[in-house]
Amino acid sequence: MIAPDDLTTLLAAWLPKQRWYGGKGRPVASVEVVRTHRLITQDDGAVDLLLLRVTPEGGEPDLYQALVGERSGSLPERLLHASIGTSGETSLYDAVYDHDAADVLLQRLGTGGEHDGLSFHNAAPVEQGLPNRVMSAEQSNTSLVFGDACILKLFRRVQAGANPDVEVTTALSEAGSPYVARPLGWFDTDVDGQRTTLGLLQVFLKGSSEGWAMATASVRDLFAEADLHADEVGGDFAAESERLGSATADVHRLLAETLPTAVEGATEAAATARQLHARLDAALEVAPQLEPYAAALRAAYDELAARTQQVAVQRIHGDYHLGQVLRTQDGWVLLDFEGEPARPLAERTALMSPLRDVAGMLRSFDYAARHLLAERHGDAQLAYRATEWAERNRQAFCDGYARTAGADPRDEAVLLRAFELDKAVYEVVYEARNRPSWLPIPVGSIERLAAAPGSQQ
Amino acid sequence: MSAELEHGELVSLEQSRDPLWFKRAVFYEVLIRGFADSNGDGTGDIKGLTSKLDYLQWLGVDCVWLLPIYESPLRDGGYDISDFMKVLPEFGDLGDFVQLVDEAHKRGMRIIADLVMNHSSDQHPWFQASRADPDGPYGDYYVWSDTDEPYADARIIFVDTETSNWTWDPVREQFFWHRFFSHQPDLNYDNPDVQTQMIEVLKFWLDMGIDGFRLDAVPYLFEREGTNGENLPETHEFLRRVRKEVDELYPDRVMLCEANQWPQDVVEYFGDPESGDECQMAFHFPLMPRLFMAVRRESRYPISEILANTPAIPKSCQWGIFLRNHDELTLEMVTDDERDYMYAEYAKDPRMKSNVGIARRLAPLLENSRDQIELFTGLLLSLPGSPVLYYGDEIGMGDNIYLGDRDGVRTPMQWSADRNAGFSTADPQKLYLPTILDPVYGYQAINVEAQMRSSSSLLNWTRNLLAMRREHPVFGMGSYDELTTSNPSVLAFVREFGDDRVLCVNNLSRFPQPVELDLQSFEGRVPVEMTGHVRFPRIGELPYLLSLPGHGFLWFSLDPEDGL
Repeated sequence: MIAPDDLTTLLAAWLPKQRWYGGKGRPVASVEVVRTHRLITQDDGAVDLLLLRVTPEGGEPDLYQALVGERSGSLPERLLHASIGTSGETSLYDAVYDHDAADVLLQRLGTGGEHDGLSFHNAAPVEQGLPNRVMSAEQSNTSLVFGDACILKLFRRVQAGANPDVEVTTALSEAGSPYVARPLGWFDTDVDGQRTTLGLLQVFLKGSSEGWAMATASVRDLFAEADLHADEVGGDFAAESERLGSATADVHRLLAETLPTAVEGATEAAATARQLHARLDAALEVAPQLEPYAAALRAAYDELAARTQQVAVQRIHGDYHLGQVLRTQDGWVLLDFEGEPARPLAERTALMSPLRDVAGMLRSFDYAARHLLAERHGDAQLAYRATEWAERNRQAFCDGYARTAGADPRDEAVLLRAFELDKAVYEVVYEARNRPSWLPIPVGSIERLAAAPGSQQ
Repeated sequence: MSAELEHGELVSLEQSRDPLWFKRAVFYEVLIRGFADSNGDGTGDIKGLTSKLDYLQWLGVDCVWLLPIYESPLRDGGYDISDFMKVLPEFGDLGDFVQLVDEAHKRGMRIIADLVMNHSSDQHPWFQASRADPDGPYGDYYVWSDTDEPYADARIIFVDTETSNWTWDPVREQFFWHRFFSHQPDLNYDNPDVQTQMIEVLKFWLDMGIDGFRLDAVPYLFEREGTNGENLPETHEFLRRVRKEVDELYPDRVMLCEANQWPQDVVEYFGDPESGDECQMAFHFPLMPRLFMAVRRESRYPISEILANTPAIPKSCQWGIFLRNHDELTLEMVTDDERDYMYAEYAKDPRMKSNVGIARRLAPLLENSRDQIELFTGLLLSLPGSPVLYYGDEIGMGDNIYLGDRDGVRTPMQWSADRNAGFSTADPQKLYLPTILDPVYGYQAINVEAQMRSSSSLLNWTRNLLAMRREHPVFGMGSYDELTTSNPSVLAFVREFGDDRVLCVNNLSRFPQPVELDLQSFEGRVPVEMTGHVRFPRIGELPYLLSLPGHGFLWFSLDPEDGL
C-alpha cells in the first residue's frame, strides 16, 4: 500500500494536467483525501473511488472525484498511458481506464444498493458485460461508454447536494420527452450531510454528434463559397437550427409542467438587473476591453430594471450552447442539465426565465460563425459571411422555438438582449483569461448588440 | 437455405441455381432502345444487347434489368402492353429473346424484365373483346360500371392528364376503371380467370428462361369500396399465390416489387416477416435523394436517419438501391407527412429541388466531379442492398435536357468515337434520339472504347470497384452497423457476414476530414485497405484515427491479426 503522503504528492502533480481540473493552470497547494471508497481489491492491487479536497495556490478549496488504481510492480502496457506515478514498488494510475473498475460501477448501477458508503440507484434495466471505454474530448466531466448501450458520466468537480442533471433529466424522461437521453441509474454519497451525486448512467445515443461540430461544418462550407449566400449553399444549417429551436421550446414546456415555476414582477426584475450590473463590474476589472461598451451595457440592464411586466420563471438548462446538444439519428437531444458547473449549486437550480437558454444558444450561433475568423484577421468578406450565417441560424432557431412555444422569444427583446449581453460579458472574461485571440468574438458581439438600442430586429 | 448458401460463395450459373443470387448481384438497367442497334434502323434491339453481353460481363454485371419488351402501341413507354406474350417488333422476336437469355446464362449473368400486372393497353385483344361482348369469355376481364361513382376514395395518380379513374366506353356503353392513363384499363383481378391468365403470362416468360420480373404498379391490383384501393389484403394474397406458383416450378427466380412508397410501407410486399412469401426485392426509394442531400449538406444524418428508420426485412429478401434510373422520381414520392423533413429541406434549396428530378444523369448532376462520382458509386456499392447501375453512368455519360423530362437521360449508349457513338450504323437523323454531342459529355470525349484503353478511366475504376465488391459477399448479405463518430461529415459503418467484416468510411465533405472511430469490438484486428491491400495499424482499444481527403472514402477488410 502506498503511503498517504506519497499519494497526495503524486495527485498534486497529476491533477493540474487533467482537462477537468478547474484550477486552470494554477499549481495545487494541497490535496486532502476526504473519503475513500474501495471498488476492487485484488492480489496485486486495488481500485478506490476518492473524494479529494484540492486547494489551488491562492484559491479556495474544491472537491473532486477521482478513480485511482494501484498495482504492485509496473503497470500493464494498456494502462501505461493512464499512469499517475510510482512510489517505491507501487504504481498509481487513473482507473477510469481500468475496464474492471468500470464494470464494477456498471454492475452496481444495474442492481442498486449500498456499497461501502456509496448509494447506487437503478432506474431501468442495465445490460452487463459490455466492453467499455473512456470518451475522449470531454471538458468538465469524464464519461465511460459501455458498448453502444449506455454512458456513465462521472462528475469530476463535486458540490454537496443532488446534481440537477439527475433531477431534471429524470423528470423530463419520465414525462416522455424524446429530447433527453433516458437515465438508467445514478450513484451518490453523503457529503457534509447532503446526498451528493457522483455519477449518472444514461442511454448512449448511437451515431450522434455534437451540435457544435455540425454547425461549424456548415460554416466551413459557406466560407468556401465565393458568391453564394448562406441560404443558397448546400451546407445550410437553418433547417437543423429550426428543429433545435423547436426541441428547446418543447423541453422548456415540459420543465415548466413537471418542475416548480413562479412568476416574477418588477422587484425581481430590478434584482436581476442589479446582478447583471454586478457581473459587469467584476468583468471590467478583468477585461478593460469592455470599457467602451460599459455605458451601453448598463443602459440595456436599466431597461430590464425598468420593466414592470411579469415574467414566468422555471427550471432551465442553465448552460445552453451548441456543445450541449447532440444530433442523433432521430433529431436533437439536450444534454448536461447541470447549469454552469462553476457556479454555486443554489444558483444552478434557481428558477429563471427560459429566455436565458435562448440567449445562450443565440450566442453559440455567433461563436460557431466567428470562431474560424479568429485566425483570419481582417477578412471583411468572411466577416460578412459569418454575420450572415449567424443571423440566418439565430432567426431559424427563434422561428422553431416560436413554432412550438406559441410565443416568439424575439417579442421579449429587452429581456433577450440583456441576457445575451450578460452571456457575452461572461465570454469576454473567459476569453481574456483563457484564449485572448478569441476575445474579438464576444467583444464584437457586444459592439453589435449595444449599437442596436431597445430591440434587435 | 443451405449451409453453402449461407457461406455466400459466388457460384456460376451452371454450377448452381442459388435462390438467393439476387442478394449478391449487381444489377444494370438497360434501355433496349438505347443500348445497341444490330440492324441499322436507328433503334436499339435485343440482338444488339446480346452483342454487348461480353462488355457487361467484363464490367462485372450480374443481372440485366430490361424495361418493357412487349408489344405495345407505345403511348406510355411500353408500359401499355397490347400483348403480354409478344416482343415489340422493333426490338426483335421471341427467338432473339431466348438467345439473349441463353447467352447471358452462359456468361453467368441473368436477365429480368419489367412486367405490368395492373393493366393492359386498350389495344389489347382482351380489352377489345371485353368492350365488344360483355357476356363473352373476356366480358369480365376489366372493371366495368354503369356509373362513375364507385371507389370514389381512390386518388387519381396522373392529375395533370386524367380527371377521373373512370372513362366512358362508347362501344360497351359503360365506364371502365383505370388507375393510370385512360388508355390503360385496369385488369379485373376479382375474376379468377384474370389471375390465372396473368400467372400464365409469368410462366410463359419463365419458360423462356427469364430470371425474374419487376412487377409494375402492384399496389393497385384490386378495388374495394371505402378504401383508397392501394395495398389491399387481396393484393397481398394474390402475390403470395404468384410467389408460391413461381417457386414451385422455378425456384431461383426473383420478383421485384415496384411500389414507390416509404420503406415502412413497402416491407408489406416482402410478405411474412420470417419467411418472406411475397416479392423478394423492392426498391428503396428515399435513400437516393438523401445520398445527394447528405453530400450537399456535408452531413451524414440524411443517410443515417433513413437507414435507422428502415425496418428489418425477411432474411431471404433484399432492397434494390440506385443513384439514378429511368423513372420519374419526384420529391412528392419520397415525401410523406411530418415524420420526414425532406420537403422542408428541399424547399429551402431550389437547386436541390431541380437536381433530384429525373432530368439529369449522375455525372452532370455532380458537375462532372470525379471524386464525387466515385464517392456516390462507393456508397451505392457498400450500403445495404443490391445496387442498380443505370446504363452509361459507368462511363460518366451526360444528358440532354432539351429532349425533355424522360428522354434527356435515354440517349444512345456511347460505345466509341465512331458515327452515332458506335450505337448504330443508321443515318444520324434516323436515330430514335440524337447522341450527346457537347464538348464535355459528347461521345467523342466520353465512350466505352476510349475508357477501356485508359487504366485511370471512370469505367476501369468502376469495374475494379465492382470486382472488389464481388470478392466480399458481405456487401450483399451482411448486417449494417453504423459507427458513432464525432465528425458529422463522416459516415462510417461496418458490414458483417460470418467471418467477413468490412469497414467503410466515407467523407461527405469537400474538405479533408479527420475521424476517430470506436473500433473496440474489433480490437486486435488489422484493417486492410481493399484497393491496394495495404495493412493499416492494428486496432487497439483507443479510438482509431483516420483522415480522409475531400469526398474520399476507404474500404477496409477487418482481418484477424495473423491473417495475411
